[in-house]
Amino acid sequence: MISLNVNGQSYQVDVPSDTPLLWVLRDILHLTGTKYGCGIAVCWACTVLINGQADKSCDVTVGSAAGKTIITVEGLADFRLPSEPIGTKGMGQKLQEAWIAEQAPQCGYCQSGMLMQAAGLFLEQRHPSGGDINGAMKNVCVCGTYQRVKAAINRASTAV
Amino acid sequence: MNKPTISQATAVDRRKFLKVTGGFLLALTLPVATNRALADTSIPANATGTAFIRIGADESITVLVGGGEMGQGIYTGLAMGAAEELMVTWEKVKVEPLPAIASWLSAGSGGIRSRLPTFLKAGAAAREMLVSAAAQTWGVPVASCQAVNGTVKNLVTNEVLTYGQLAPLAATLPVPAAPVLTPAANYRIIGTPAARPDLVGKVNGSAKYGLDAVVPGMALGIVKHAPVMGGTLKTTPSVPSGASAVVPLGATATNPVNNAIALVSWLPGANTWGLMETMKSISSNIWNTPANAALLDSNVFKSQAMSLLGRGAPFIAEQKGNVDTAFASAARVLEMTYTLPYLPHACMEVLNCTVRMTPATAPFTACEIWAPTQAPSSVLTTVSAVTGLPKTAITVYPMFMGGGLGRKFEQDYITQAITTAMAVGRPVKLVWPRSEDMTRDQYRPMAVTRIRVALDAAGNITGWQNRHVSPSISAQRRTTPLTAHDANATEGATALPYNLPNRLIDYVQHMSPIPVGYWRSVGYSINCFAVESAIDEVALATGADPLTLRRQLLSTSTDPLAARTLAVVNAAAAAAGWETTAVPAGRARGIAVGQAFGTIVAEVAEIGVTYTGGVPTNFTVYKVACAVDCGTAVNPNSVEAQMQGGIFHGLSAAKWGELKWTAGKSSVTNFNKYRMTRLSEAPVITTTIVNSGAAMSGCGEPGVPPIAPAVANAYAKLTGVRVRDLPFFPGATMGG
Repeated sequence: MISLNVNGQSYQVDVPSDTPLLWVLRDILHLTGTKYGCGIAVCWACTVLINGQADKSCDVTVGSAAGKTIITVEGLADFRLPSEPIGTKGMGQKLQEAWIAEQAPQCGYCQSGMLMQAAGLFLEQRHPSGGDINGAMKNVCVCGTYQRVKAAINRASTAV
Repeated sequence: MNKPTISQATAVDRRKFLKVTGGFLLALTLPVATNRALADTSIPANATGTAFIRIGADESITVLVGGGEMGQGIYTGLAMGAAEELMVTWEKVKVEPLPAIASWLSAGSGGIRSRLPTFLKAGAAAREMLVSAAAQTWGVPVASCQAVNGTVKNLVTNEVLTYGQLAPLAATLPVPAAPVLTPAANYRIIGTPAARPDLVGKVNGSAKYGLDAVVPGMALGIVKHAPVMGGTLKTTPSVPSGASAVVPLGATATNPVNNAIALVSWLPGANTWGLMETMKSISSNIWNTPANAALLDSNVFKSQAMSLLGRGAPFIAEQKGNVDTAFASAARVLEMTYTLPYLPHACMEVLNCTVRMTPATAPFTACEIWAPTQAPSSVLTTVSAVTGLPKTAITVYPMFMGGGLGRKFEQDYITQAITTAMAVGRPVKLVWPRSEDMTRDQYRPMAVTRIRVALDAAGNITGWQNRHVSPSISAQRRTTPLTAHDANATEGATALPYNLPNRLIDYVQHMSPIPVGYWRSVGYSINCFAVESAIDEVALATGADPLTLRRQLLSTSTDPLAARTLAVVNAAAAAAGWETTAVPAGRARGIAVGQAFGTIVAEVAEIGVTYTGGVPTNFTVYKVACAVDCGTAVNPNSVEAQMQGGIFHGLSAAKWGELKWTAGKSSVTNFNKYRMTRLSEAPVITTTIVNSGAAMSGCGEPGVPPIAPAVANAYAKLTGVRVRDLPFFPGATMGG
């Protein structure tokens, strides 16, 4: 049994420890917001936060994620930066609102990963520059939402 | 699950109200034009579109929409039309997917343009019936009543009744045959940037794509096809440790040969990765390799296509004037040959389908399908054919698509999943791993195009000849040979708006064993590259400015689209500052224009080139100025998004997109060998919407074609190198 902490909830899963976290989230826990794109750590569709670090869940074994704090897109609404006190609007909600305000998603499939990548970026850089955004947002989007994603990140950066 | 909320009723009668508890449902059908003949014979040429509007006793207003949502905004545009005529705000309207039996294909950029008139009329009809119900209730003339924001107001007494209150009486009234439509000048909603209702679920993880389907008790399965294209299954392997079943796939009534297997597990802890690992333990000896495998090679395909340029019996696609005379008297002839590779769709969401048969084992009485599909109605036909069940016993749940791009119109993955579920006697989610999605696509056809241009002594174009050689999508889907040109292959090469009085466009079919399919914008993306590159080559050869040449060819043309095309070209040029803003040092601009599905798009790309060891190895697109005339933009927000999407799709393909074949195996098995544009490489795109007022036309695809020639034209100007063979940079890879 492997113990996982996902979005503040504890789970026990009985799978080989080398199973990628992605497939435990999707196929075992049915947290399907995290997406499968390539399975080879290229496209970042499967991005989640692990101990505050955005990472590709297809490239992280469930064994190595055990005991760590995992946040998926299903938990994004409750995500807040250390500088955002309880009772104020957190960055997760700011990101979601900014994404809607800019009407960023098209098919939407890569957007969970985009949002979690952006959340990770804000943990590192409270007001990311254009260069910071370019460097962090490696997620592949076939629909070409990049321009609106950039605008949404900038909007979230200044949201209160 | 996005369950359809109206029953699987087949009795959706023409012009009839279906009463629902406490409210009413209006179903209205009008003839609509279909824009292209698709292979699916279940959709007649004169297919009808149906608009459904439900007014609830709780004041809810729901518009039911068919097709499939893949990012194109199908759940927005049509419902905007209904809201417009119902005199309610956009925020008041909910959108739900139609059940498959009343649904339609999402293809040919036709989702909104072909059906909006029906939705407008349905909204107006419902409004007039609600107003009539109020007039009856108050005993006043209809003229004394007015629909206002979800209510009807008595203009004499100022009394108000809500739509919910009026719905039961309205449901008993006749449907007006010719409801009065709102003049376009008075539109409150159409033409405004309406928010898409599907985005909330797309930012919190609750939106369910096909791959997200979870059915109680379901098994998981993955597909593996014969590793060599055309290969077949020799022996069904025994079930390996770590799985529960192996199901042979691919046999049909007319061809009892399998070409794939499903590996299925219902063991505790079953997961997709575990199945992919287990699949590796199955010996490759189970597959037969086709005898012609060595010929399934991109070099062979290319030499075949090149030889077909000069021989064979072409089908004439378009002929005007006298090309022979024009070339015989030409002062100068330019001849250019352009080649384009096979391309996969590479949707972010791999193919998948979930099936539940009821009962789990035969004889079956019902079947439910959860699938990402552009063609819910075709899925219904497929399920009925495979299971023998009547369509009324089949439910297709609409799921979001993680991209469709023309691939999720096909039925192969649906058939496989049904076969698997019937074989294992339990619900199954069947998934194509990324490697299968890339190596068993139905690819954009490769193409070779030779354009010859006759010029007079002054450099004017006097003759235009375009021979196009490519596999035929439509011919591959039927048993009889072509008897005329394949319009999907030549679209974008024919009907050019330019003043080209002597022209001959013909087509030679290239028989190819590689399966080909509909790739976003189909023939247009191929032919626009050749045509608009060639026009630029004429400009360079004659010393003309590429913009000036296009203006001249359009302003002297009698083609019905010439004036609109000229306006779009001018709008893009103005937005790019072609004549007003100097190009920064080290950059160049290129322009191209194309029409697809009735929509005209011009794009100006401003690029700079990266050199490694003196050789151009990459280019950066800094800006794209896009102008689009789709007649009337229903939702400018979506039009802009679709233009951006089309530009990225076309740009990635032009720079890096290529899938080669060696001994029947694809060179691309995953994204690491299929580079796509990333955010850090994204140009700033401006979209200028030219509302010409012409007939409405689609936007999902027309943004794609002009970007490849626009960047090729800029590249030629900047480097002196004319790229006629796509992609620009073959063999590109992509890391994490």
